[in-house]
Amino acid sequence: MNPKVKPSDIAKPSQRLAHIEPGELPPLPPPYEDFNRVTLSALKEEKVAAIESSLDDTVVIAIPKPKNKEEEEKHLRAFLSGLRKLFEKENNWGFLQPLLLSMEHCARCQTCSEACPVFEMSGRQEIYRPTFRSEVVRRLYKKYIKPGGKLTSKLTGDIDLNWTTIARLAELAYRCTLCRRCASVCPIGVDNALIAHEIRKLFSQEMGIAPREIHEKGTLQHLRVGSTTGMNPVAARDSIDFIQEEMEEITGYKLEIPWDKEGAEVLLLHNAGEVLSWPENVGAFAIIFQAAGISWTLSSEELGYDVVNYGLWYDDVQLARVAVKHAEIAKKLKVKKMIIGECGHAHKALVVISDRVLTGNLNIPRESGFVLLDEIVSSGKLKFDPSRNNFPVTLHDPCNVVRAMGIVEPQRRILRKIAPKFREMTPHGVDNYCCGGGSGFAIMSGFNFPEWRALVSSRKKFLQILDAFKDEPQDVPKYVCAPCSNCKGSIRDILEYYHAKERSRIHYGGLVELIVNAMADMKKPMIKFDEGAL
Amino acid sequence: MEELNWWEKEKKKSLYNELKFMIPEILFLRGVFAENRKLWWVSFPFHFGLYMLLATLFLLFMGAVGMALGVRIASGSSACGSFLYYLTILTGFIGLTLGTIGGLGLLGRRLGDQELRKYSSLADYFNLILFSFFLISALLAWLFHDHAFDGARAYIYALLTIGGQPEGYSSPHTFLGQLAIVLASLLAAYIPLTHMSHMFMKYFIYHDVRWEDTPNLKGSRIEAAVLQNLGLKPNWAAPHIGADGKKTWVDLATSGSKESK
Repeated sequence: MNPKVKPSDIAKPSQRLAHIEPGELPPLPPPYEDFNRVTLSALKEEKVAAIESSLDDTVVIAIPKPKNKEEEEKHLRAFLSGLRKLFEKENNWGFLQPLLLSMEHCARCQTCSEACPVFEMSGRQEIYRPTFRSEVVRRLYKKYIKPGGKLTSKLTGDIDLNWTTIARLAELAYRCTLCRRCASVCPIGVDNALIAHEIRKLFSQEMGIAPREIHEKGTLQHLRVGSTTGMNPVAARDSIDFIQEEMEEITGYKLEIPWDKEGAEVLLLHNAGEVLSWPENVGAFAIIFQAAGISWTLSSEELGYDVVNYGLWYDDVQLARVAVKHAEIAKKLKVKKMIIGECGHAHKALVVISDRVLTGNLNIPRESGFVLLDEIVSSGKLKFDPSRNNFPVTLHDPCNVVRAMGIVEPQRRILRKIAPKFREMTPHGVDNYCCGGGSGFAIMSGFNFPEWRALVSSRKKFLQILDAFKDEPQDVPKYVCAPCSNCKGSIRDILEYYHAKERSRIHYGGLVELIVNAMADMKKPMIKFDEGAL
Repeated sequence: MEELNWWEKEKKKSLYNELKFMIPEILFLRGVFAENRKLWWVSFPFHFGLYMLLATLFLLFMGAVGMALGVRIASGSSACGSFLYYLTILTGFIGLTLGTIGGLGLLGRRLGDQELRKYSSLADYFNLILFSFFLISALLAWLFHDHAFDGARAYIYALLTIGGQPEGYSSPHTFLGQLAIVLASLLAAYIPLTHMSHMFMKYFIYHDVRWEDTPNLKGSRIEAAVLQNLGLKPNWAAPHIGADGKKTWVDLATSGSKESK
């Protein structure tokens, strides 16, 4: 760690601006001390020779280095053009006001830094401080966009603009999970996560630069094929038909999953990742809705079976395109409302952000699945035997559900009713910590990024999980309830990385699986520890 | 959004809850106290001192208006005159001492704490030095010349009456007093140009951004604004956007991109 790094250093070429040495990361408790000196595997020289990798020990975007001076100049011009557009109403009307306020009113008091799990868990690497990237953008904005900026930059904070600056800044925008914990503690209301989001937008919308996982394999594939998983409608139906059969076999419950039912009250939208990685989640939703007599349907239309919207993380136009498709499907099916399954970022994208995109007939009511599940569980329509969930359960709060939407109690009311050994993490609710996989990190897998995620961005969550179960015997199976696909993927990865299943018998899963497991009508349990994917 | 069919529910607003949050936040910097205690020890006196000085300015103005109406503002005068007289001294004293301690403390923290220094510009130091100069000069003027703020009140009186002088008061025109007035005027003109206006902007940031969650309901004012914005014509240059400066946001959102076809 180099504690002397300051924002203007981003422009000074060097091999790496930040580096984590063994032993620099905050320690883990027993029996995980053997990870305390583990650090990231070095990037292979031959693999990074042609790409930009001078920010830190990992790479997400892998921007090719410019071939010549002309190409470099072209990038610089495009960057400045994009930066200017971020501050123009016609180009950025959705986020202009909070961006301007965050640019102009930050007191640089560093209150946000203490709230940032990435900064804290990196051993306080200066470049991961929320204000670091914001200050870089602020200085560039003041110097190159504001009138007279070049004259006043010596007073307001100088910075050079060159290829190193923009290449590192692009990567640095992907070292923040956009959890917005920093924004929630800022005494003034400055949103540093928003600034990271705006940098991502600038690179994507102006320069066409974005991580492959969220752009090419993300929104582009989503709009082209129907799902970011690559599943087309036929494959999606086949998979869910298979899930239907599997569920009957697992639980003994006869299930009929409705497809494309026009006039149903509810269109249930899943993250298609569930279909492939956690099919029991899709099945559990179906069991609950059927048992509760909900009038519902799934959609087999392209995008209708995959509620993700990766545009939320990096590109407003892509976000709008996906959101419009989702709304068009609901409109065509004439449903009364759209219900979002266990997918945190889809909650924010479809309920919150799309609220400023969808108008008229496309503005179909959208609701969190947690709220409807709470209603079902509280209504008495289903009979529960909570003793079936007689194992320690802790709840991970997806940032987009709690902090962005204020949905905190419904999921807790459910757990209090069906999980007798439910214990909270500290802190939780709107003060929760990100799983470390937010803003697309959970699906980014290039180079050694999964290691960075496990060691740095997910470390706080792992510590929280261990703390929640610290009074439980080691040999008792424990359940981390993570009602969000990305969070679940991220928690799966940290439990695997630290061998937590073997060492502490910590398992993970969603909320609906716990509900079904406690349903008295189920002939067989849904949750079977130490068997299958759990 | 925690409620079933939230869009059908009446949006609850509570002035009581807002005040319960905002008063401790604005007056006592509740957030800084909870999240950044080290800074609070200097930030709180500075901000609270400035609030007290704003209150003092208001009381001086009230006093000057009173004098113009024939009310004597002094010890042993009418109940109202005495109240204004003593309250001005109290708020002024608290404001100047806390403000000075806080201003110098913030300057010291910014210089001494590497985490703050790395992110501080020359303008940040200039701002704090300007504030500290004003606070010290005003504190010294109060200490040596104007214990009851009679001179400051006479100055406001003169502004209100275009050069008039209160009966029975002869202004000493001290250097420190004049310096404090010049620096205060400079600050009043300068603050809106700097990030220090966050003291006032905070209200808008909280209400218009942090807490703004008015839903876009059909036929609402929000929907009209969204429709207007969707008609704007962006010119983002990345190929997948497909913008040409003629297509609106609606065109782009409903068209898909070339790469995804």
